[in-house]
Amino acid sequence: MIVGSTHFHRKERLFQVEYAIEAIKLGSTAIGLKTKDGVVLAVEKRITSPLLEPSSVEKIMEIDEHIGCAMSGLIADARTLVEHARVETQNHRFSYGEPMTVESTTQALCDLALRFGEGDEESMSRPFGVSLLIAGHDENGTSLYYTDPSGTFWQCNAKAIGSGSEGADSSLQEQYNKDLTLQEAETIALSILKQVMEEKR
Amino acid sequence: MPKEQANWSPYDNNGGSCVAVAGADYCVIAADTRMSTGYNILTRDYSKICKLADKCVMASSGFQADVKALQKHLAARHLIYQHQHNKQMSCPAMAQLLSNTLYYKRFFPYYSFNVLGGLDNEGKGCVFTYDAVGSYEKVGYSSQGSGSTLIMPFLDNQLKSPSPLLLPARDAVTPLAEAEAIDLVKTVFASASERDIYTGDKLEIVVINADGIRREYMDLRKD
Repeated sequence: MIVGSTHFHRKERLFQVEYAIEAIKLGSTAIGLKTKDGVVLAVEKRITSPLLEPSSVEKIMEIDEHIGCAMSGLIADARTLVEHARVETQNHRFSYGEPMTVESTTQALCDLALRFGEGDEESMSRPFGVSLLIAGHDENGTSLYYTDPSGTFWQCNAKAIGSGSEGADSSLQEQYNKDLTLQEAETIALSILKQVMEEKR
Repeated sequence: MPKEQANWSPYDNNGGSCVAVAGADYCVIAADTRMSTGYNILTRDYSKICKLADKCVMASSGFQADVKALQKHLAARHLIYQHQHNKQMSCPAMAQLLSNTLYYKRFFPYYSFNVLGGLDNEGKGCVFTYDAVGSYEKVGYSSQGSGSTLIMPFLDNQLKSPSPLLLPARDAVTPLAEAEAIDLVKTVFASASERDIYTGDKLEIVVINADGIRREYMDLRKD
């Protein structure tokens, strides 16, 4: 019985991908909110020891001048994806002299997640164990996308990922509206994040 | 022993001239329709102009086999772009792509002298002019091909703006109205046909503006 991630199992399911999605439910919480003026990303740093250098914990990264992302799950896997996205956006600028749209960037990231990597040597034998919140602005305005290890992405107005995501998502549903200012969105993001972080203790 | 010379060249020059002029809200791209080889005419009715995107048109003179290959390559890339990004390529984006495509064959170039014309993202006319290996520049007007040495000085006389180094910065696009620009282009080709043996037969004019793309023809000298 082959239980590799490249094989559909008895019940027509890719267990490895499902396990990866489960693994992210243990990851640190991240929240994203979209407003007309911009998108807010907030993450839980999760300092597990007083010996840890807090400023070295980087869970929000820049992909291009106009796109950033927050991560939850296996952070090392996320770094590979962000690096790929950075290369793709710069290739696009080189080829077409224009910034890549946020959706196209998200699609490029998901293309990689779907294949578990690129090329013969660099491709992995397991899915990327990370969910991303991709935030940015382009000619279509501001946008926020949520990706998961299956390589699917959804466009959202607001989303939470990671261990506190269930509680945070329901709080977001109550508190979010499309006409928030950037400042209000920041406050909401931080207050919800604080709330779910305290709940877990 | 003296070095042997090749008696076969992968290139040929099919002659002809191309011109493009950018205006505030339009762009005029024109080329003659004569295709020749040596002192012979292959056909009097060959289009050197190719529509690459909704608001982007390319005119190329030189070796038409290479030109056709280049046009097909760019059309394919445009289709892929539309699938991946769900939108048409803008003229500046196509301009960059053309430059990269040409330089990619730096050591066996496309023998193609191009002018790209169209509207930019804001609806303003833009013209990009190239050499055979992809060096390009956004300009207000340009000509390429066998008649360019006759055409360019006249365009400079009629359209050239003061130095780009002067302040305040002036727009590259011509203040001429669309009808005036078309008239200018017709005059220019009529003159070039007089003295350039490779330019003549018929003039094809393509005009891009907010309403879309339209085509016009004018007869030129057939000798």
